Amino acid sequence: MKAIYNLIIKDLIRFLNDKPAVLLTFVVPMALIVIFGNIFGGSGPRGKVGIILVNESSTPVSRIIETKLDTAQSLRIIKKYLPDDGKDSLKFTEDIAKEYVRTGKISAAVVMPKDFFADTSGSLKFKFYYDPKNEIESSIIQGQMQQAIMSGVPRLMPVLMTRRAVNFIGSDSTTMFIKNISSLLEKYFDLSADSLMRSFTQVDTAALMDSSLQPDSSGGTQMLSSLIRFESEQLVGAQVANPGLTRTVGGWAMMFLLFSLTGAATSLFEEKQEGTLKRLLCMPLNRSHILWSKYIYTMLLGMVQLFVLFVFSWVLFKVDVFSNLFNLLIVIFASSAAAVSFGMLITSLAKTINQANGISTLVILVMSAIGGSWFPVTLLPEWMQTISRGTLTYWSVEAFLQVLWRQSNFAGIANHVAILLSIAFLINFYSLIRFKNGKVF
Amino acid sequence: MLNINRVDKSFGNLQALTNVSLKIEKGEFFGLLGPNGAGKTTLMNIIIGYFAADTGTVSVDSEMMTYENLTMRKKIGYVPQDISLYLELTAQQNLKIFGQLYDLEGASLNKKIDEVLDLVQLKERSGDRVKEFSGGMKRRLNLAASLLHDPQMLLCDEPTVGVDPQSRNAIFDMLNQLNRSGKTIVYTTHYMEEAERLCSRLAIIDHGRIIASGTLIELINLLNQKETLKIQKNAHTQNKIQALGKLGHLSETDFYYELLPNDSYLLHSKIFAEIETAGIPNQFVEISRASLEDVFLNITGRSLRD
Repeated sequence: MKAIYNLIIKDLIRFLNDKPAVLLTFVVPMALIVIFGNIFGGSGPRGKVGIILVNESSTPVSRIIETKLDTAQSLRIIKKYLPDDGKDSLKFTEDIAKEYVRTGKISAAVVMPKDFFADTSGSLKFKFYYDPKNEIESSIIQGQMQQAIMSGVPRLMPVLMTRRAVNFIGSDSTTMFIKNISSLLEKYFDLSADSLMRSFTQVDTAALMDSSLQPDSSGGTQMLSSLIRFESEQLVGAQVANPGLTRTVGGWAMMFLLFSLTGAATSLFEEKQEGTLKRLLCMPLNRSHILWSKYIYTMLLGMVQLFVLFVFSWVLFKVDVFSNLFNLLIVIFASSAAAVSFGMLITSLAKTINQANGISTLVILVMSAIGGSWFPVTLLPEWMQTISRGTLTYWSVEAFLQVLWRQSNFAGIANHVAILLSIAFLINFYSLIRFKNGKVF
Repeated sequence: MLNINRVDKSFGNLQALTNVSLKIEKGEFFGLLGPNGAGKTTLMNIIIGYFAADTGTVSVDSEMMTYENLTMRKKIGYVPQDISLYLELTAQQNLKIFGQLYDLEGASLNKKIDEVLDLVQLKERSGDRVKEFSGGMKRRLNLAASLLHDPQMLLCDEPTVGVDPQSRNAIFDMLNQLNRSGKTIVYTTHYMEEAERLCSRLAIIDHGRIIASGTLIELINLLNQKETLKIQKNAHTQNKIQALGKLGHLSETDFYYELLPNDSYLLHSKIFAEIETAGIPNQFVEISRASLEDVFLNITGRSLRD
């Protein structure tokens, strides 16, 4: 028994002295729990999903629905944009809203057109333009839209039904029918006939604002739906053969790229351990030769790895990687450059290979979680979304989405590529300074 | 050929080298002898330009050996203490990679690879992965990789660590052959037997300082007593040996005690009289010529093996 106890103590001491192992055992899960907790646990305010609202209708009903959407918990309603001249922000039009969705600046736009709720309308008319670049995000948008609209529609039901009845049996017959119904209800249920008549013929805006009415989840929903004309149009990705994989392949590819390239970059430590680095440094080579060769080799390895991965997904799952091949190669180049720089940074910061492995695993998993490799960034709290934009994973995942999902041209990825290359340049610059004073050499 | 002038090097609070000066002539087989941690590898690292000295200079053929001077490195071949090879590659692949980094290519590279493989007797195994080699074979290939560019000077940093006697002898023969062909060899070791066997001239280093230098004879002549007594370690001698402590410096190895008599016991008769008094039978005692071990012991008061 004592022998077992002593062996356990031996393992414990070894574990506690292995700081990277401690880091991986406790800090990595804690970091991930913080991220997942913020997304699914409801701790703290969740980030809002942006959606454009164009209200071309001047009716009180459209204004009320607009107010309801404004106060929707998970939606951030955007009504204005800054034009290219950058002077004053303007109200979105339907065409500009569609362009924003098409180019990936926003995931969805709702338009309440001029004929949204005319005097004689038998239903409410919405136009919904969307880019289902991420299924979870699309579900949130549609769910929140439904909640905001459906909670008001029941109040409009009598008016909408009356208008429909007019279409079928004529105005006089409908008026006669409502009068008779109202009289009967007054006689047997002690209700005011005038009030009932008004509810059938006039929109009660105050009642519409009442948020106590929740969307009906019973069979009534079907009837409500028939009173709403929702003209949906998927502006992006409708032709994509495998939408699910096309949307996510870039994120996963980036995560594995980071792992493999960081491993390749930290092989400098292995070379040091094996003694080959010293032999190289005794040759007519200087340190920058060794660093640059490692950088270029690792980058080429990353580019080939990514390309093979995409071709593999094309062969097996019909992900279209060839129709926008040139731009895909540009994103692969920029992503690899940024990923190798990250590996070089870790190598220059760490003192041992174990330390490098521990730090890189922690940072890669966190970057993947908040950078959009696993789930959409819009699900994160606002403060995490801000941090997310500082990660290379975010820009790489967005760039792959632009190329594969949205089939963007170079203009659509120029911004992402410029940011990725800037990250690569800055990190490399810093790493080179660190290498001069570091422990690797 | 190699001139090391007043070199100092420290790592934080640790003073690794202090005022080290050495001059090694062309064609010499020069030994740097010292215990582990004495500063041998640090001095090697400065010579090859792996890191710079804090103060002092190193020059080869009157040209300064600096961190930035890459062409100078072609004059030097370095045999590291560790097996500095890509173990997952074959011997041939390793040599090709290292040869190309010395700007060798094509037929001349292949010829050179054949030559060095021949020298280290690994031609038949050239297509095998290095990880499948024995320790001695790896050591020999480690040496071969340092000879590809035909350096004028070969720096060997304890190249026989962990090698079996047969492979060690083979490496000694190769190094002697290279020295005879005109190459200057600088050889670091903590085995005095190796230094005695190989080196025409030696320096002894301890705690980062050169404490003695010269030929083997010159170093032995530093001792007043040129002979030592070796007494076998066994049941007859173990409990009696302490009585000999007053005769000089008594040290102990795995199999025998070694006595370096002090000046008052220069006569054999006086020593043997004391041995007889102590009750140690003569059959367990032998007289031997003083060695570098004794020189080190005499200067530092410690054994090389301490």
